Amino acid sequence: MSETLVYAQSPVPRRLPFSRQQMPLLATILVCTALYIGACVTFRGFFSKDVAVAFFGDNAFLGIAALGLTPVILSGGIDLSVGSMVACANIVLATLVENHHVSASVAILLVLAGGALFGCGTGMLIHFFDLTPFLITLGGLFALRGGALLISTDQIAITNDTIVKLTTATVPIGFGVQLPITAATFIALAIVLIFVSLYTSFGRNVYAVGGNEASAVLMGLPVGRTKVLVYTLSGFCSALAGVVYTLYTSSGDATAAKGMELDAIAAVVVGGTLLSGGVGQVIGTCVGVLVFGIIASAINFQGTLDPGWNRIVIGGLLLAFIILQKIIQPGKTGHA
Amino acid sequence: MRNQMNRSLLRTFTIALASMVAIATAARADDLVVGFSQIGAESAWRTAETKSMKDEAKKRGITLKFSDAQQKQENQIKAIRSFIAQQVNAIVLAPVVETGWEPVLKEAKAANIPVILADRTITVDDPSLYVTFVGTDLVAEGRMAGEWLAKDTGGKANIAELQGTTGSAPAIDRSKGFREALANYPDMKIIMTQTGEFTRAKGKEVMEAFLKSPDGKNINALFAQNDDMGLGAIQAIEEAGLKPGVDIKIVSIDGVKGAFEALVAGKSNCTVECQPLTGPAVFDAVEKAVKGIDQPKKIIVKDGVFDQEAAKAAIDSRQY
Amino acid sequence: MTTAPLDYAPPPPRSPRGIPLLVWPILVLALLLIFNFFFTPGFFHLTVRDGRVYGSLIDILRRGAPVMLLSLGMALVIATGGIDLSVGAVMAITGTIAAALIVRPDDSPLAFINVTHSLTLIILLSLAAAAIAGLWNGLLVALLDIQPIVATLILMVAGRGIARFPTSGQIVTFEHPGFEFLGTGGFLGLPFPVTIVVVVAILTGLLTRGTALGLFVESVGNNPKAARLAGVSSSRVKILVYVFCGFCAGVAGLISTADIKAADFNNLGLYLELDAILAVSLGGTSLSGGRFSIVGALIGAVLIQTLTTTILARGVPEPLTLVIKGMVVVLVCLLQSEKFRSRCKRLFKRGNS
Repeated sequence: MSETLVYAQSPVPRRLPFSRQQMPLLATILVCTALYIGACVTFRGFFSKDVAVAFFGDNAFLGIAALGLTPVILSGGIDLSVGSMVACANIVLATLVENHHVSASVAILLVLAGGALFGCGTGMLIHFFDLTPFLITLGGLFALRGGALLISTDQIAITNDTIVKLTTATVPIGFGVQLPITAATFIALAIVLIFVSLYTSFGRNVYAVGGNEASAVLMGLPVGRTKVLVYTLSGFCSALAGVVYTLYTSSGDATAAKGMELDAIAAVVVGGTLLSGGVGQVIGTCVGVLVFGIIASAINFQGTLDPGWNRIVIGGLLLAFIILQKIIQPGKTGHA
Repeated sequence: MRNQMNRSLLRTFTIALASMVAIATAARADDLVVGFSQIGAESAWRTAETKSMKDEAKKRGITLKFSDAQQKQENQIKAIRSFIAQQVNAIVLAPVVETGWEPVLKEAKAANIPVILADRTITVDDPSLYVTFVGTDLVAEGRMAGEWLAKDTGGKANIAELQGTTGSAPAIDRSKGFREALANYPDMKIIMTQTGEFTRAKGKEVMEAFLKSPDGKNINALFAQNDDMGLGAIQAIEEAGLKPGVDIKIVSIDGVKGAFEALVAGKSNCTVECQPLTGPAVFDAVEKAVKGIDQPKKIIVKDGVFDQEAAKAAIDSRQY
Repeated sequence: MTTAPLDYAPPPPRSPRGIPLLVWPILVLALLLIFNFFFTPGFFHLTVRDGRVYGSLIDILRRGAPVMLLSLGMALVIATGGIDLSVGAVMAITGTIAAALIVRPDDSPLAFINVTHSLTLIILLSLAAAAIAGLWNGLLVALLDIQPIVATLILMVAGRGIARFPTSGQIVTFEHPGFEFLGTGGFLGLPFPVTIVVVVAILTGLLTRGTALGLFVESVGNNPKAARLAGVSSSRVKILVYVFCGFCAGVAGLISTADIKAADFNNLGLYLELDAILAVSLGGTSLSGGRFSIVGALIGAVLIQTLTTTILARGVPEPLTLVIKGMVVVLVCLLQSEKFRSRCKRLFKRGNS
């Protein structure tokens, strides 16, 4: 245990369980579990396979965007354009497939490439010109939303065979559970990103840049490449989230995902990642997304809250979650 | 002798118990649980619709599971899924957008839960995904507004238009209907149009900009796609030194109390009702759907058109 | 958003050559105005009627007043390294409380308060509520050590719900000439909201530059450890700035509510927090905390409003509006970037030599 204290400031997250570094994450998971159990006990029907699968399926697009956002925040940046990118990807995919009769696979690839390219451009602007990520990505938020609306203000119903088939496609994962493709994508991406963040040099560089950019530069780490890559990843993931949203609704809607960036940021931060960078885990983001999903479902199951109380309860549950998180873990989690 | 008495007592008791259980389960079967996925609570109109639904459910002894989606489609999809998981008897959906409902409605159909649409309609390939639509005809509302304006101005007007939230169904449909009506009157021109986002504040801000623009002095009519924007615009007109309702004829849609007050005060000229109190009609449809009774695919709730005279007569009976 | 070590303190809002960052938003603002001068007839036209000046320029100031107020409070919060997302919701809460106090609907929980006769009390009580909201944020951030973005997100969500209660979910309208004056009245020929902004801005300036408070705020944001060692109470400073931000949001809420004479809890202040943060950032205050610029924040707010008014005056549809807004934001950022400017200069130099 004393060795862990010596490494307490290391930017590399410990892989051993229950080390000091893991406490925030454990606290988050514990409180999330408590929340889930509480809901199961209170509401009949909450504890069921379908509801559990729905957490992953319904929140898949939010989760995928939040997962892509995590490395960005870990590196000390932020990306406000994720919501608008989801809408843009969604409407572009719908237009390509319905109005221009592009094949679904080609269209999806184009959209994903476009998202990655946009993210890459954002990252390059931020790195090469030393710009404030908040502002540039806010500009991206406006521009992408406007772009999506310019493509079409009407919704576009998708009748393309491949897409329609994909909306009901499921992946069997044993125990008689069929995961919808949206949930499967979310979980697959989570596994990939957890691996990348913990076991690759890119992941280590992200933590290093977020922890202390100046030191990272002095250490000779490829800071510029890392920063451009995280935004490229974020752009790719938000575009993927847009594709998943298209599969989720089988339609294109330029007004979709308004304000989603705030939900994604909240999920990342609730999951234990610090907005100042350098501290946090990808799996924490998954837990954060689940927490929001559980709260939303619980309110739906309750079914009698009027709009005023609805919002107050969401805020209250969020507050309770944060406070419990703080109580359970010892010591400071740092401050912004 | 005792044995026989015991046996008959036992038999009576068992029969009584069985019938009590039967009555109890039958009573529970009559207790309908309906899930209602509402768009949000973004306007007085919307809250009036919600209140109508809640009041009607209470009156009929139906348990209403209410979900406020805060105007996001994904929240409505989540709500419907949770209704399916709770095995409700019927689902009422007021869809925030027109498309994107196939996947989740297919699940509802597979679970044998009838779906009734309220207030707005959807575009689906398979019409069996919903039982019926109960609501107003948004396109007709726009058309009625256009027709009234044409009659009132004698077929000649320079119209400023305040549109609703870009991409929303009421904005799209009411625009369509209005222009359909105007097509018959070549001298009625829409000289400027912008979104007022269905809010009072934006309606006022945009109207100010309209009045200041070089063409502003030519405006003699205003079509506000909802009353809230119209009420904001009235303030802008007054502050510009003009007389709303006199210098600029105003027609708006919704029929909220504020619009009636403006009509009585002579500041507005016409409001086309968009009836939010659809609770009774919706629950009629729900009960029929649960019992499996056939009903028409579209149940249109009539809207009234109120000019200043009609408003004076009706204002006391307005509920919202 | 990085926490830099002591010897790499974030640069003050000045480039090494000494050109203040402020120059760039002013430049873009000037460009916008020049564009309007040539292409929007009547933009600079001012008329005087009933002792009040009217015109597009005046509109910019009047319409931009709420965001200008928000940006004053937001500048201080950001300077301490924090952020306040709840300002829009606080505007709504304050506005509906004021409306409820004026109208006193029967089913309102505030019906027992009888202050309809006193404008001062109405305003004071509403602003007190706004300050309490700010205090709530400040306590969460300073005492419970919750990240500001999450702490204020809680009030941003819950606040919209709280705002429904004073008027029991009804959008109440009112006629109160005294209160309406806040939004539509005139003073010295200018709209009263402009006067309010000037007063609050002067107040802010005196508070921050006339006392040591400004220095404390900057030090807490720049380097909390050093500030603590120097004896500055970081928690007290943070609580104060959040209360002040809540207060500014409250004033903005009163102005907006007075403007439309209604308690629109759904839409009042919606998304304005983004505009405020944008204004502060454009004005040269770094989002990681440290030095701040009140004048910069105001200019940033005016720039945003000028853009909106220009677009409205030209009747540009909303989708295009958003794209233009995005491009302007990126443009100002690029101009403010020293690296971008030097690269441009190098391009020109290479061309000449």
